Amino acid sequence: VTVELVFVLVPLASIVAAIFLIVTLERRRR
Amino acid sequence: MDGDDLVRDYVGRLEAASWPLSPGRRAELAGEVREHIETALAEAGRRDTVTIRNVLERLGRPEEIVASEAETDAAAPGWAAARGPVPSPAVRTWGAVEIAAVLFLTVGVLLPIVGPLLGLLLVWLSSRWVIRDKLIATAIMAVVLVLAMIRLLSFAA
Repeated sequence: VTVELVFVLVPLASIVAAIFLIVTLERRRR
Repeated sequence: MDGDDLVRDYVGRLEAASWPLSPGRRAELAGEVREHIETALAEAGRRDTVTIRNVLERLGRPEEIVASEAETDAAAPGWAAARGPVPSPAVRTWGAVEIAAVLFLTVGVLLPIVGPLLGLLLVWLSSRWVIRDKLIATAIMAVVLVLAMIRLLSFAA
């Protein structure tokens, strides 16, 4: 589970958070 | 301060910050922003203080709106340029901090735990994302961590 957490879940959550932040900033820019 | 006061205050700040723009564009911009606020409130179907605050927060700081407008306002008179740059810290939407934050959150996952945490730290240091965005991004990561911890504890039990 620790391996899954470190190498799968955290990166996945991190990428989802990044996509959310990119979309937010781009929407505001338009 | 009630909702209408919040809108009046916001538009007032916008007008005060828009001195670098041509007079025509200043009035036009204030009108556009007022219209945008009204449309957003009509879509929300509510005019309470919380809704108005959310709408204004999504719009961004008045100084930022003017700064991005000043960049594209070809009609700005020479005196505006002669008086120096727009006095706002946020001229562009994407700055070095924001780019680094997104890189750490994406490519940075190659550094397990450290990369995403640095990315999140940079997100909080950025002035371009509003508090709401920062909280949502943090919550996305926190929820995953909490779920993983619950699973870990249930395995240990």
